[in-house]
Amino acid sequence: MVVKQFKEEMTGLERALAALSYKKPDRVPVASLVCGASRRILGVTYDKWATDSELCAESMLQAHALMDFDIFVTLVDLSVEAEAFGQPCIYPMESTPYSDPNHPILKSHEDYHKIEQVNLRETGRTKMVIDVVNRIAKAKGKECGVCGFVYAPLGVLGAMRGHERMFIDCIKHREDLIAACEAITPALIDYAVAQVEAGAHAIVMDTLYASATIMSPKMWEAIEAPFAKRIADAVKAAGGALVLHNCGGGIYFDVQQKYTDPVAISHAYPAADCKSWEEHAAKWGKKIVSIGSMDPAKVGMTLDPQGVMEYTREFIEYFKDCDGGFILSTGCEFPPNGSLLNAIAIMDAAKAYGSYR
Amino acid sequence: MADKKAELWEALKQGVIDYDEDAVKEAAQAVVDEGLDAYDAVFDGLVEGMNEVGRLYEEQEYFVPEMLMCADALYAGLDILKPHIIQKEGGIKGAVVMGVVQGDVHDIGKNIVKMMFDVAGFDVHDLGRDVPMDKFVEEQLKTDSELVLLSAMMTTTMVGMKDIIAKIKEKNPNCKIMIGGAPVSEDLADKWGADGFAKDANNALKDALNMVKALKDLQQ
Repeated sequence: MVVKQFKEEMTGLERALAALSYKKPDRVPVASLVCGASRRILGVTYDKWATDSELCAESMLQAHALMDFDIFVTLVDLSVEAEAFGQPCIYPMESTPYSDPNHPILKSHEDYHKIEQVNLRETGRTKMVIDVVNRIAKAKGKECGVCGFVYAPLGVLGAMRGHERMFIDCIKHREDLIAACEAITPALIDYAVAQVEAGAHAIVMDTLYASATIMSPKMWEAIEAPFAKRIADAVKAAGGALVLHNCGGGIYFDVQQKYTDPVAISHAYPAADCKSWEEHAAKWGKKIVSIGSMDPAKVGMTLDPQGVMEYTREFIEYFKDCDGGFILSTGCEFPPNGSLLNAIAIMDAAKAYGSYR
Repeated sequence: MADKKAELWEALKQGVIDYDEDAVKEAAQAVVDEGLDAYDAVFDGLVEGMNEVGRLYEEQEYFVPEMLMCADALYAGLDILKPHIIQKEGGIKGAVVMGVVQGDVHDIGKNIVKMMFDVAGFDVHDLGRDVPMDKFVEEQLKTDSELVLLSAMMTTTMVGMKDIIAKIKEKNPNCKIMIGGAPVSEDLADKWGADGFAKDANNALKDALNMVKALKDLQQ
């Protein structure tokens, strides 16, 4: 396969900024969700990678050296914020850390009122993530996009309470749950802002529950939306761009736009009001930049590199008429145990098939 | 009596749909007190309610929180009715082993599937979450279960399913294995030799209902 070379190539950062402002870049930019998988390039165990900012940042930088993607996303795992609020976590050597479901810190709905204030700039792994952002921004921030990451309040509370119990609380003890959102949101805002101050150009906020996979748009609006808005507003006020991530099925683009007005959404499925990728690209492609949206398991685990290139090409085609407003990526984190050759094939496909010139 | 029965079946059904635990408990207790058939009460009341919940789920009128509430209501009724069920000639009689594979703790989908097998009268061997691979094989052999259901939400944990399927099929080729979870696909189910798959909680409920119905038809 001959890969096209440009005489005047944009940097990854220029490419990302062009895409986000609907000005056609030289080619489709690629955001790396090769996060946990990057540890295998450096050769460190998952528990070390997820707790040591130097190893974590170096792994992501080596992944960049190998793949030459345009945008870093500093997602470590979804237990980072909950752990900072005191939730015990488990660190497997070969898999993603997670909050310990047998020891939820929020044992009853009454505990929502007992959450203690925490300075996430100075606590455990949130401090570590800020440092990861800082290291990557210093090393590559002038040539690549750098995105920090924050889990929206319901995600954090679900990790502290147990998701099943929290979903029931959404109906049975809603006022208590909203009080907990109120309690943790200032710290999450400060955490997001700290990542912008550390050099992140954008913050990716994970609003998983704003999707048909989980709850109704009405319920999301009644519980999390106002808090997501506060985080979004704070990120923008700090000078960062606001990106959402939501790998749920039937993601609510309309409601999330209303509350958070993101510049882009990283997603794995078409919006709730669209039945296909073609329909999504036609309806939303010129309003909110899509980041995605390839099936991570398929890309990382099922296909071979040639298959990944063809599959990637399909997504480039879906979004080709969106005035450049598309960033290629997997719809969720690239499988931590996925084929790195397949990850490289995504980049090869972007270079081979993603030219706007 | 027929009117009373219809009234109670409707109360059970509506109680599940409205996730009204108290109403379901009251109706279930009335079924027992009146000496009505508990088996029919489960199937024509509780399960009918859950079928409607499944429809509401598909229509996106209900979502995960509502479904979990409905499940609680259903279990409230089942706890009262189950001790009074007399297994019927031609009714479903079977055993199923289920669990979330080692390293994975996401069990909402598995719990929803479990509920459907519970109400269908299966002997359910729920191994819980983060279940060591060999435990599935041991439990299937020990219980001679016709079905094994494996669940995983992460790509790092789902790969363990391949070995479990091979080991179970080696020992008992007739055992049917269904896999589920967000990263699982039909391709992977085929590749690993599973007999079926469910992508998420939505599909899990629907597929569990279909599977129970198919098995019931087969056995009748």
